[in-house]
Amino acid sequence: MQHLADVEVYSVRTLREALELLSSVKGLRVIAGGTDLIVQLKTGVVPKTNLLDVSRVDELRYVRFEDGILRIGALTTFMEIYRSELVRRHAPLLAEAAFTVGSFQIMNKGTIGGNIVNASPAADSLPPLYVLNAELKIVGPRGERFVRIQDFYKGYKKLDLMADELVAEVRIRPPGEGYVGHFFKHGLRRGDAIAVVNGAVLLMLSPEGIVRDARVALGAVAPTVVRSPSSERVLVGSRLSPEVMWRAAEAVVNDISPIDDVRGSAAYRRELSVNYVFMTLYRIARETGVVA
Amino acid sequence: MKFPHSARTREIRFVLNGRETSVRVPPGYTLLETLRYVLRMTGTKEGCARGDCGECTVLVDGVPVHACLTLMSQVEGRSVLTVEGIDRQHRLIRAFVEEGAVQCGHCTPGIVVAAYHLLSQVPRPTEEQVREALRGNLCRCTGYVKIIRAVLKAGEA
Repeated sequence: MQHLADVEVYSVRTLREALELLSSVKGLRVIAGGTDLIVQLKTGVVPKTNLLDVSRVDELRYVRFEDGILRIGALTTFMEIYRSELVRRHAPLLAEAAFTVGSFQIMNKGTIGGNIVNASPAADSLPPLYVLNAELKIVGPRGERFVRIQDFYKGYKKLDLMADELVAEVRIRPPGEGYVGHFFKHGLRRGDAIAVVNGAVLLMLSPEGIVRDARVALGAVAPTVVRSPSSERVLVGSRLSPEVMWRAAEAVVNDISPIDDVRGSAAYRRELSVNYVFMTLYRIARETGVVA
Repeated sequence: MKFPHSARTREIRFVLNGRETSVRVPPGYTLLETLRYVLRMTGTKEGCARGDCGECTVLVDGVPVHACLTLMSQVEGRSVLTVEGIDRQHRLIRAFVEEGAVQCGHCTPGIVVAAYHLLSQVPRPTEEQVREALRGNLCRCTGYVKIIRAVLKAGEA
């Protein structure tokens, strides 16, 4: 492991300063909590570059609910997200994911913006953001723009983000009455682990238990987080019976392309994906009284 | 102090265990490297140096974080508490001794700091709360039974 003694670190306190530096100094990499980036720099996974430390830009640390939209500042930590009453009320899926991101030490430092821009396909915040149709507010010298989370990722670690832009805010419109969902994660250690497979399932059920809307997202099984249209098609319009749940769970293999790596084989990831989607559907069915 | 390739150093001021401190270090140095190799405060241990083991747990502005994943630029103007900042007679440390919750001792400082934070938030934690708070701290000697017993005992005092 190498040290970072030869790396210059620019420290800023405001978003304006951050954007100015990004425009005027070439080749800066933005560091927020640093829980993944510092390891990547020290192990040489990413080349050593000078850093723009935005971790103290307090104006990007907040959770607000305004005009029917939950707004989370990019530098909000996972501990803050997990503890936020607003997140628990309007996006409980995201609170569940925040609690599994890592140890308390990691939750106290890792930020949602960092998790998004770090762009690991195993990032725990992403499957919830995919099923919640979250939108990102991106700011830069040309003003602000909004991108849907699924459009932000163009491929493995390829982002719709220019070198002089920053992700400033995550916006979530609460899905509304009748929606029930859960996050799931399989790690090799419960206390603090990177996901072998993770995902989120969000359903809208009629009082009779018919699925009106279904959103299934999986992580760590493709170059980016993916939705599973095959699984969603099985669910929509059907009653949430064990047979439908199995067919929907098995359908996810059509939409994923896992690889073998240090945390598990592709075959293992396919098995996990099917089983976890089934277990999560079953959990939702039980909680809503559709199955006993 | 000489640093390898140290083109850049910066005066960084922060509060360390209640005392105003100033060090001249590269801002890309981690807090762990600064504590151990510059300030020679070796209570904070280095285990994995990648945020997995929890040995280097310190409090920054009152919350537990990994010193190995904290750059010096990130502690500028902040308050840091290391294991050296906890009174040796503190009931938590006494409980670790009384319960025999230490074997090789390498994980102990990080666990003490994490547990100290828990007790400051939840004076009488349940076993479940102790296990959650310590889920990021690995002990490879004996397991966690005595450690958890010690924290629970400190919580009863």
